[in-house]
Amino acid sequence: MSSAASLVQKPWVRWASLAVLVVLLLVIPLLFDATTNATLARIGVFAVAVLGLNVVMGYTGQVSLGQIFFLGLGAYVTAYGVSQDWNIVLVFILACLIPAVAGLLIALAAARLGGLAIAMVTIALPIVGVPLAKRLSEFTGGSQGVSAQFSDAPDWSGLADDQWQLYLVILIGGITFLLTRNLVHGKYGRAFAIVKGNEAVASSMGISPYRYKVLAFTVASLIGGVSGFLYMVVIQYTSPETMSFAHSIQLLASMVIGGAGSILGSVLGGAYYVLVPQLTNIIDPNLTALLQGAILLLVLFVLPGGLVSLPRLWRRRRGKGSGTSPSPLPAPTSEDTVSIALGSRGSTPPPPTPPTESEERQDT
Amino acid sequence: MTRIRRGMRAASVVAGIGIVAVLAAGCRGGGDTPSESGSSAPSPGITDTSVALGITTPLSGATAGPGTCTVAGITAYFGAKNADGGIEFGDGKTRTVEINALDDGYDPQKAKANFDQLKDKVFAMTSGLGTPTNRAYREAAIADEVPQVLIQTGDPIFSNQQESPWQLGFVPIYQNEGEAFGKLLASSSENHTVAILAQNDDYGEGYVEGFKKGIEGASNITIAKELTYEATDTTVDAQLTELASTKADVFFNAMSITPLVISALQKAQEINWLPSWFLPSNTSSPGAILEPGGASAFPGVYTVAFAQSASAPTFADSEEGKTFLADLKEYADYPDVPAFPHCVWSYQIGAVLDQVFQKMTEPTRDNFMEALRSIKDYVAPLMLEGSSVDTTVDGQPAVSSVIVQKYNGKGYATADTWE
Repeated sequence: MSSAASLVQKPWVRWASLAVLVVLLLVIPLLFDATTNATLARIGVFAVAVLGLNVVMGYTGQVSLGQIFFLGLGAYVTAYGVSQDWNIVLVFILACLIPAVAGLLIALAAARLGGLAIAMVTIALPIVGVPLAKRLSEFTGGSQGVSAQFSDAPDWSGLADDQWQLYLVILIGGITFLLTRNLVHGKYGRAFAIVKGNEAVASSMGISPYRYKVLAFTVASLIGGVSGFLYMVVIQYTSPETMSFAHSIQLLASMVIGGAGSILGSVLGGAYYVLVPQLTNIIDPNLTALLQGAILLLVLFVLPGGLVSLPRLWRRRRGKGSGTSPSPLPAPTSEDTVSIALGSRGSTPPPPTPPTESEERQDT
Repeated sequence: MTRIRRGMRAASVVAGIGIVAVLAAGCRGGGDTPSESGSSAPSPGITDTSVALGITTPLSGATAGPGTCTVAGITAYFGAKNADGGIEFGDGKTRTVEINALDDGYDPQKAKANFDQLKDKVFAMTSGLGTPTNRAYREAAIADEVPQVLIQTGDPIFSNQQESPWQLGFVPIYQNEGEAFGKLLASSSENHTVAILAQNDDYGEGYVEGFKKGIEGASNITIAKELTYEATDTTVDAQLTELASTKADVFFNAMSITPLVISALQKAQEINWLPSWFLPSNTSSPGAILEPGGASAFPGVYTVAFAQSASAPTFADSEEGKTFLADLKEYADYPDVPAFPHCVWSYQIGAVLDQVFQKMTEPTRDNFMEALRSIKDYVAPLMLEGSSVDTTVDGQPAVSSVIVQKYNGKGYATADTWE
């Protein structure tokens, strides 16, 4: 254990593993057959959606049950833009911006309510979204949905469609993950963690809980829009069913299973979202709902911290077994992860960066 | 400490990606049967002794009831055939039929995933229920040249050969239903005024379009007023009052929402407007809608159908009905009398595929599509008299001939003429 630990703390090992990761990501699309590539691409799509949910729930502690709405909105914006022959870069920007603005407007109102009220408001999103998508048929194609084929591989690339799509997902999803990682590990992430931990404390430090809740919600909506764009890259079709409320709950379950407040957990959550229905289909297509429920319970009983806590659990076991305790991390919850990360950067209190705005400091 | 954490994190990211990749690779489960190149070689999913069919349909969630039926019926049909040794194909070989059904929970994304999983294993996709789910993989099926046929959606796009060369719908499209009723009404010897209320989407529009086509050129029919409502509305009382003021004697109500239909039936009686009603096939159930709505008060309630209803009292006594119920129980593990028409439809899909297989001279998907588009005047088991399968007309699903039915206080009976 100790030799392994000393090995991984060497900088060159970290850089090497990062390089291996990058190479893997670049090579994977060329290695597998079309079906596997499509599955990996779908995992990427929902990993990004779960990541968005993680920003608002895992890191900031605000219950959001409407993430699928922003995915659907991004998908519809993409489909509409493509049908109007707009430049695809513009379409991508709009697919990020429009959900972000929608999220901002909703958060401006909902974050004032705080607590469970924000959960209730977000419940309404997919519930309103489905009939709205059916009604606005000139934009959405009504209940029959809308197709947009824009992600076929260009001739110069020499790639198959599925490889091209997977590269797009890896590129866009990868950048989204990187930016989000930097966001939640930086000063904003520390502010999110304090808002999550105790709003009164946050206010006393000059961190406006309202502001950061709105910010987290907006970022989550923006990331939702990105996942909607990627959804269209991979699925090439969207309909009101895409944003049904049940899918929002599945996203939530995936986030918890993957690991709340964790970047890697988002990837695992995306994998869970995509693979478990396929897995249960292989076992018995008539029992999918039951099996998915059983798997959910099993994972949560065995790994309350989500799949991402598996190595930690394993490490703890190893530590106990050998009598030494090289890694005294007590299987931290998501909240702890952030505070430990805080502590590890030299236990300075989080900088009170945002100016205190007294009119926003309510209920505290 | 920091370094350890960072290092572990980096390592676990790598490990995580690896796990995901391995899982994903495992998931294909040996699915890629090597398809020998060469166009005359057999297509995937068919051998000299067996053929595999794929279904993606909702087996969980809100539409699981009808969805389960879309698998049960066809499984029952081919289960019985397999027990008899299989089906003799047009190329002289006898093959058994294997059904691979996957659950999509009415989620388009999962339907596409299921298609990706099945496309190299099965010869053709069939019988799946749902417009969005079937649409989600329509383009992929065209690109991969996988037949997606006799699916259970009323969306006309699947029956348009230009747009959907590898597709064909099974159930009548909305227009077929409206048109059948329009034609019957036009054949009446009296003059009629019609009030129309339609759901403001492709569903309602389809019905009204068909109805107007049906009464085209009939001088005895006038449309007094045409209103719409939104699928999200909780009441249509205002529209009903407005329509009642026209004193129309026929009410064409293209409505897909069960509680709204019931309350509309009740409201019309309250305001003493008693026209003859037309209701779409999916919102005309005697037990679930007409009885609670007090439909006997109206001079006539009409709907359309092409298949016998398994819940009809005479069904279990008929020879075909008996076989159907027995096969369903024995081969599809479906012991109850099905409450959804999709079980009968799916059984009929099996019968139509049987016909197609008998016409196939080569074990290829191309040949299958050719044979599929050549079925005419075939009366599948459990079809109503006057209805038949015709796959030769572009723009029409396999079953486009529907029979107008009139409510008789308990169930439906065929209405040949307007009384």
